[in-house]
Amino acid sequence: MNPAGLHTDLIETLSLTLVITSVAAVEMRRLKFSIIAYLCQALLIVALLLSFASVNHALYWWAATAFVTKAILTPWFLFRAIRGVDDHELKPVIGFGPSVVIVALLMMGFFRLAHSKVALLAPSGLAQMDVFRTNLAVASTVFALGLYAVLTRRDAIKAVIGLCLLENGVHLSLVSLAPGLSETALFGVATEVVVTVFLLLYVIGGVRQVFGTTDTFRLRELRW
Amino acid sequence: MSAEPLTETSIVPAAVFLLPVLAGAILISAARMSRVLQQWISVLTMVLVSGLGAWMVYRVLGNVVLTTWKSELRVDALSALMVVIIGPVGLLATLYSARYLDQHVSQGPAARRTSTFYGLLMWFLGTMLWGCVTNNVIMLYVAIEATTLTSGLLVAFYWDRRALEAGYKYLMLLTIGITFALFGCVLLYAGAAGTNKLGGESALLISNIRRVAQFIPGRTAAITIAFLLIGFGTKAGIAPFHPWLPDAHAEAPTPISVLLSGVMIKMSVYALARTVSIFYPTWTQVTIFLVALGTFTMLLGIVLALQQNDLKRLLAYSSVSQMGYILAGIGLGTYLGCYGGLYHLLNHALYKSLLFMCVGAVMYATGARRISELGGLRNQMPVTSACYFLGAFALAGFPPLNGFWSKLTIYLALARAGLWWAAGIAILTSILTMVVVVRAGVRVFWGARPPNSPAHLEVKEVPAQMFVPMTILAGLCVLLGIYPQVPYPLLDRAAGILATLGR
Repeated sequence: MNPAGLHTDLIETLSLTLVITSVAAVEMRRLKFSIIAYLCQALLIVALLLSFASVNHALYWWAATAFVTKAILTPWFLFRAIRGVDDHELKPVIGFGPSVVIVALLMMGFFRLAHSKVALLAPSGLAQMDVFRTNLAVASTVFALGLYAVLTRRDAIKAVIGLCLLENGVHLSLVSLAPGLSETALFGVATEVVVTVFLLLYVIGGVRQVFGTTDTFRLRELRW
Repeated sequence: MSAEPLTETSIVPAAVFLLPVLAGAILISAARMSRVLQQWISVLTMVLVSGLGAWMVYRVLGNVVLTTWKSELRVDALSALMVVIIGPVGLLATLYSARYLDQHVSQGPAARRTSTFYGLLMWFLGTMLWGCVTNNVIMLYVAIEATTLTSGLLVAFYWDRRALEAGYKYLMLLTIGITFALFGCVLLYAGAAGTNKLGGESALLISNIRRVAQFIPGRTAAITIAFLLIGFGTKAGIAPFHPWLPDAHAEAPTPISVLLSGVMIKMSVYALARTVSIFYPTWTQVTIFLVALGTFTMLLGIVLALQQNDLKRLLAYSSVSQMGYILAGIGLGTYLGCYGGLYHLLNHALYKSLLFMCVGAVMYATGARRISELGGLRNQMPVTSACYFLGAFALAGFPPLNGFWSKLTIYLALARAGLWWAAGIAILTSILTMVVVVRAGVRVFWGARPPNSPAHLEVKEVPAQMFVPMTILAGLCVLLGIYPQVPYPLLDRAAGILATLGR
């Protein structure tokens, strides 16, 4: 692999835009816009993978799988789940103001941490290079934002979007951490996430039928 | 371990998980097949799988390691042990499910979905078997997440308020948890690849990572262990990641509860042990941490079980507690600890499956599962009653039943490692377990019948298809208690693989 052939500027720009789409996906109140933000993120990931693929050809496969699973299937399932219902997200645990502050802090914290301590995560020469450092920093930030969304949102569908962000974070890190991953492994990892999203939305559909809401706080039959 | 094992290419490791996957595909696609035929196909598949498992054990005891597809699949003693637990328990649960399902699907929204049930059941078992035979660290993650996906709809099978809530929590929490494990697996791969000591061999194969683990920098190893522990620990029901477990295990149909508690959580502990144990020699601090986590889990689980009125939730919390024993044993890293942990894994699979089947039988006969609504069943259900008490005493570690020997091994291992506090907590937990399960049994089977209880006017013993699996399991509990040396050859080899700290 010849890292000199990478379009560093392009990758940096794409990476930073990616973080912005994560924030949008977490903070948008209308689920529709949230899903659109997620879709944008998926497309950015595909673009990023393609730009990395110029030096690591295995990533073309990864980009193709990511396009099908993340940019087509997942948003389709999500749109289907909110079709015909009020798509205003239920009030989250943490309001908009404090949430933005927390998200900003998370972003800065993780970005700095991952950027400076990258040697801990990936003890390989490759990951020491600037582009891959940025990639890892972005990946961990997206991961943290996803986890934040899953933990603080009441709306089950929003929690699923958070879960998708979480997975995107890990998948992005594969570019730097596991460049030699086989196609079957990548395919397995990517397919699994789509199936998870499909099943979760299917069960959430059942929850909406039976409980009349997707508010996870109303799921309180089972205590202790 | 004696000499280095011989490696032999074989198709059996692939067959053992492809068989149930294929059967599952047939069952799901042929929805109009009669229910009896579905049941027969499932039972037959599991008979074949158990047979293949037995053959694997036979080969492994001959000091052979079976591999398929350029070592993508690899069966050593540890994998063979898991396969030989999953196969027979899966078979008994499938047998048991026939009558149980007949009763429950004849009414309610779950009716006419038996093909989905058996299809998913086969896939669930198939993915678990896959996880046990794979040697690829990323595929290990894929297989474990696949077990969540295949069992998710089974947990929510009844599609009512409680089942849906349990199903949602199950899928959501486990997917989040297992994503951490993916990150851990990726770091493991990156760490092994970064050592540059593999000489061109794939860093994806666990057997290769094992060889170079000592060269992975300590702090990278610590982060990797943390991620793996959160990920696989969530799936294994280790406290504080256990809250999904009682919901899912209690609300799922009983044959699924049997598999969730009996084998699925064991399979995650297997994944944890497989990956984390390679760091014991270089990072010995982790063993103390795992033992501490194990003791915390066992105590918390049993304390929470103390206040349960629902029989299935009680057993589920007791499973959390028992996972603590297994983790404490395996986490110790010594030969004796690993032997005790694996032995307990085997025993717990037997008696927890038995206990869930007994509670399922009580539910089948009376329609109730709260302890306060039940009483005096010993005369009407003598077989169930006897099986329950055998299982309960085995669970509590009462000699001469099987649970006693594995618990004793774990106490001895903890004491020999100088961790007296851990051994003390383990013994205390054992006493509390006795109180919890025997008290529940006495109330349900011997206690006075509650006056205005809705159920049991005409309670009868459950049909043979349900009590035969129960008596087989009860018999095994007694047999392994009287002859604890029977599983020794296999457990000895399996423990030798995990015990990277030496004898």
